[in-house]
Amino acid sequence: MTASVEARGGLPGAVASEWTKFWSVRATWWCLAAGVALMLGYSTLSGIAQRYDGDQPMGAHTIALGGGFYLAQFAVIAAATLFVTSEYAGGGIRSTLLWTPVRSRVVLAKAAVLLPVLLGYGVLLSCAGMALASAVKDGHGLPTSFEAGFTTASGMAGYYALLGLLCTGFGWALRSAAGALVSVIVLLVPLPLIVASLGLPELMPYFPGIAGVNAMVEAGQPNPITMTVAPYAPWVGLAICAAWAVAALVAGAAVLQRRDA
Amino acid sequence: MITLRGLTKRYGEKTVVDALTCDVEPGRVTGFLGPNGAGKSTTMRMTVGLDRPQEGEVLVGGRRYAELRHPLREVGALLDAKALHPGRSAGKHLLAMARSNGIAPGRVEEVLATVGLSDVAGKRAGQFSLGMGQRLGIAGALLGDPGVLLFDEPVNGLDPDGVRWVRQLMRSLADEGRTVFVSSHLMSEMQLTAGHLVVIGKGKLLADAPVAEFIAGNSRTKVSVIVPADGERDALGLRLRAEGGLTHPGEPGELVVDGLDVTRVGDLAYELGVRVHGLAERTASLEQAYMELTASSVEYGVSA
Repeated sequence: MTASVEARGGLPGAVASEWTKFWSVRATWWCLAAGVALMLGYSTLSGIAQRYDGDQPMGAHTIALGGGFYLAQFAVIAAATLFVTSEYAGGGIRSTLLWTPVRSRVVLAKAAVLLPVLLGYGVLLSCAGMALASAVKDGHGLPTSFEAGFTTASGMAGYYALLGLLCTGFGWALRSAAGALVSVIVLLVPLPLIVASLGLPELMPYFPGIAGVNAMVEAGQPNPITMTVAPYAPWVGLAICAAWAVAALVAGAAVLQRRDA
Repeated sequence: MITLRGLTKRYGEKTVVDALTCDVEPGRVTGFLGPNGAGKSTTMRMTVGLDRPQEGEVLVGGRRYAELRHPLREVGALLDAKALHPGRSAGKHLLAMARSNGIAPGRVEEVLATVGLSDVAGKRAGQFSLGMGQRLGIAGALLGDPGVLLFDEPVNGLDPDGVRWVRQLMRSLADEGRTVFVSSHLMSEMQLTAGHLVVIGKGKLLADAPVAEFIAGNSRTKVSVIVPADGERDALGLRLRAEGGLTHPGEPGELVVDGLDVTRVGDLAYELGVRVHGLAERTASLEQAYMELTASSVEYGVSA
């Protein structure tokens, strides 16, 4: 057969294909745009609050962290989860596996697309949030050192990227958008609170959401969500998130491997 | 060339594909026939690795599908036209497909033109009609210029022009030396398109033969004789059975005879002095041959 072909296939081909698929549906753009809007809205309102409320002085980096955890991360969760579960909403998965029959390769390819995209997105969002908050609060509240800003930006980038991978793992394992979204959100927010209220507060910093926030806070500073100081350095927070993401991906890949498409 | 060796698929207790062994040769259209639920789609899905067989294997060009480095350049498959994200445009769908197997992006426009979808490349695939979706699926099957093509019920939803186009396409693909394996439950369609038939029922291989041989081997020529008077017809029926024939009632006034040729039936009627209004040989179509063959293996049949 004559074919005008490039050499690429295998994993690089699968990544190129998933990259095209990621950017060619509206859901991706809607989710990422919604995250930006939420971050900018939160930063603006919190910045304004800093001008009139002296009781809780905050730095721009803490405001960006709040916007990133309370709001924008849900856009990341939605984008990453839908990237996988939309394969099952229609019959897309059957095409995907026809193109890339080695199933672990599909799991890796989607992760490889999300990782750099969400790293960049986290940097962009945290920097935009900090810039807007500091402009709006106009000297009120607390100052932001370079180190604090850097930790927030790098922590949010790493957290979003690993959170995205966690979501794809849940997506592969559960195959439904509703199931995966609910599971991830429960794991991030209510579950650590429940575990703490059951008398095991020392486990809280090892849940992915809390660990992610700890990664955005300089060592020794209190986590603004739990109001406690993390028992480890910021990079350890990301390592904890990475462990969760890997576990979810392994579980998801095992389910995909085992079942008929 | 597709090679099935003892291919078996079970869902719980139920055996859907039962020790299927046959070869699908290049250079001709092979029709894959069977009633609904016979296991055709499952067989095709196992061929491309979507379902896993419990026993046996199916090889494409001597290798399993998942072992192919660039599967789309060796096997093109239209299994399910709805197997895509409804929000993605047809062009982007094919572009993602091309990239996955290192196929030049320029092929996308070529195959869209081949199936007549160039004008709607930017339209979301979810808005396509059944026929357009089927054309997009065929475009995908052709994208990697593969030597083996699988089509599961390709004419579903196509208008008469589309049906004729698919027939010509399949024949021309086979004429180019490719392996073309087409499933259908429409016998008449296969009679027009296929040169060779693989027939299954309840997952078992019932026939693997050229179309002409299949028809000859699976049907007996029947004789229809029309006798208007009831008494005379009964007398003739009695005599025909005595001569070793089998008779069935047909249309009102008609007697359908199995196992005796038309001259013998005519001679017997003449001997009895029966008034005959019609006497004709009935050659079975592929449809009838198929119905007879699969009569005992219809999965979701209606009781007569």
